[in-house]
Amino acid sequence: MRRCSIFISVFVLTVLLFSCRGSDESGLRGELQFEDVPLAGASVEIYLKAEKDRSTLPFATTSTDSEGHYRISLPAGSYFIIGKKKTIEGGRTRMLMAECPANPVEVKDSLLSVAPFPLREMGRDAGLVPEPQTGVKGRLVYADQPVDSGFVYVYTARESGLIGPSYGEAVQSDDSGNFRIELPSGRFFLSARKRADGEQMGEPEADDLNGSFAGNPVEVVSGQYVELGDLALTRVDATEKEKRLAAGKFEKTTTRFEGKVVNRDGEPISGIYVFAYLDSRMVGKPTFISAPTGDDGQYRLNLTDGGTYFLGARSTFGGPLEPGEWVGTYDVAADHSVAIETGKAVDLADIIVREVW
Amino acid sequence: MRLLVVIILLLLPSVSGAVLLTGKVVWEGEKRIDEKVRVEPGAELVVKPGTTVIFTAGGLEVAGRMSARGAVFKGKKWEGIVLKGCTLATLLTESEVSGAKIGIQVIGGEPRLEQLTLVGNDVGIELRQKSDATVAGSVFKQNRKVGLFLKDGVKAAVLNNKFEENGRYGAYIFRSTPRRFSGNVFSRHDTGLMVAYSGSDPELRDNCFDQNKVALRVEKAARPRITGSDISNNEVGISLYRRADPVIENNLLANNETGIEIAFSSYPEIRHNDFVDNGKALYLEFQSSNWEKTKGASTRQATSSRSAFGSLDKSSTELPPPRSMDGTVDARDNWWGKAGTAELEKIGADGNPGFIDDGRDRPTFVEEGQDYPLDTVIFSPWLQQSSLQGKEKE
Repeated sequence: MRRCSIFISVFVLTVLLFSCRGSDESGLRGELQFEDVPLAGASVEIYLKAEKDRSTLPFATTSTDSEGHYRISLPAGSYFIIGKKKTIEGGRTRMLMAECPANPVEVKDSLLSVAPFPLREMGRDAGLVPEPQTGVKGRLVYADQPVDSGFVYVYTARESGLIGPSYGEAVQSDDSGNFRIELPSGRFFLSARKRADGEQMGEPEADDLNGSFAGNPVEVVSGQYVELGDLALTRVDATEKEKRLAAGKFEKTTTRFEGKVVNRDGEPISGIYVFAYLDSRMVGKPTFISAPTGDDGQYRLNLTDGGTYFLGARSTFGGPLEPGEWVGTYDVAADHSVAIETGKAVDLADIIVREVW
Repeated sequence: MRLLVVIILLLLPSVSGAVLLTGKVVWEGEKRIDEKVRVEPGAELVVKPGTTVIFTAGGLEVAGRMSARGAVFKGKKWEGIVLKGCTLATLLTESEVSGAKIGIQVIGGEPRLEQLTLVGNDVGIELRQKSDATVAGSVFKQNRKVGLFLKDGVKAAVLNNKFEENGRYGAYIFRSTPRRFSGNVFSRHDTGLMVAYSGSDPELRDNCFDQNKVALRVEKAARPRITGSDISNNEVGISLYRRADPVIENNLLANNETGIEIAFSSYPEIRHNDFVDNGKALYLEFQSSNWEKTKGASTRQATSSRSAFGSLDKSSTELPPPRSMDGTVDARDNWWGKAGTAELEKIGADGNPGFIDDGRDRPTFVEEGQDYPLDTVIFSPWLQQSSLQGKEKE
């Protein structure tokens, strides 16, 4: 009888402990699947923004248990979930991946249950694995003339803005502007670009050709090639591009950092971008970017929300440092961090940059 | 056909505001420009001989076609001329560009830049994005940072140019392999020519280096072939640093304080060169196969696998292994000059020649409290006479 009462006490205490934990914990829980079966041992990556590419590190990660379930504690906020799993079967490597259809998910003060979602098999280099005789066909045109050697990109989600390297497949148009893309059945978004330098990657510059398929999204049915007709491109206009930048990452907001970028002698340096990261590692794409500094070295870094940011400054966007480039960090705090409240404008101490060779 | 060509003569003394040029535009006389001027795709800008274009701000961007002969483009801290995807039809020749941040920036394309003078810019000419440009017969003088910068897989031809007294480097080849790089002369630089990082594997042929502190520096996994060049009267002829494995053959290295300086796991092939009257023909420093085996990869990982802002990054570049890891540097079949050859005849293949400073002279070096053996140079067999007929200065 005594043993039984001890057991009951422990059980009740355990239930209480778990219920207490459950009431305090905020985060996400859910299930990953593959081919309608729960998927064990898959990675769950949590991002703070939609523009995920391979250079962006996740904010948090966890993995699914033996029943395909995951659970991760997160502070309140908006998140993007990606599931991944790499398997090697009989010498064949399979990459499974998918974005959560519910992205972005809003975590408040409790554990949010996310509906199960299936992963999709990707091909080499994260390309899509096509089904036989399945895909899309069309023609690239500019001013009603066919465009050869343009790249057509297939995206599986619109959140990317149909730009950036998160596409699932890319093919080049032939001499007549025609293209055919082998795909699995599903729903896809298409865009196309032809850059003056002939490159497949990189932000379109003025005079490059750019466009999205007017009929997005495209429903692809197994065993059929969907006839898209013409995918019309337009020329990137330098003035319009500047306007778009001003309305996008350089849009003026009431929450902002302001300050000056200088060299070691205290002289203002022009042409420097100031980057704000939410992650202390300061790798991958920054969350916010300033317009380049002017001759006076002054910058204004517009933010959407308050919080703690980690600040760095460079004379170019992205990629490894090149010789001759200016680089520096905000060094008032050792970890380069600075906090700001929403709606405030904060003047910061100078950011000192140095030239790397 | 001529009637279809719109010819606009812009004879006004100044252009203000953003200017877009379409059709065919001719500049002549003196022009003052205070904002960016852009030559649209399909448009053509012709700058006539004797034209002086003064930029008080802004710069000139050409997405169409440009030809300039006998013109001057100048200003103070202006943006310079940007040629974007220009074809062979774009030709700038016998002209001077000065005072710009980047005198001429070439983004892709294959324009011809010939007999130009680039003086007093931060960077004289910068070639990017696999440009196939031709840079020939030009003078790069007293540019504050770099005379000619090659980046991003540039495939350009760089021929018969003269580099003098540029601030940091006469020319810098960064992750690029120009299709031809020859006939260039580098004088009075801290570093005449820098070739750095993997992907920089050009043939550097028949160039001349004179009176530089370091004539030619190769570092960080670059693997050029340096051949047929006259490298004389410099403090250091060739400096190899951090896994630089060039082939160095058929060159004249004369009257340098140090002919070739080899450091930090660099394993070149040095053959059929003439070493004449250098203070030291070869000098090894912090060069050890033993160090490379035990610490090379981890040391590089610690320095190269950092993000732009200094935090550790997951990715890093795997470098190719050195050609040799047996504690030796290969310098067989070279001509060591009359005095050097006489010394070798005296001391033999097992001796310690005075013109080579290596592990025979300093058996070890210390790093973080630990001794590492300094590599030695294999200098035997050696040539009995100059391998460069007509070039030997002794």
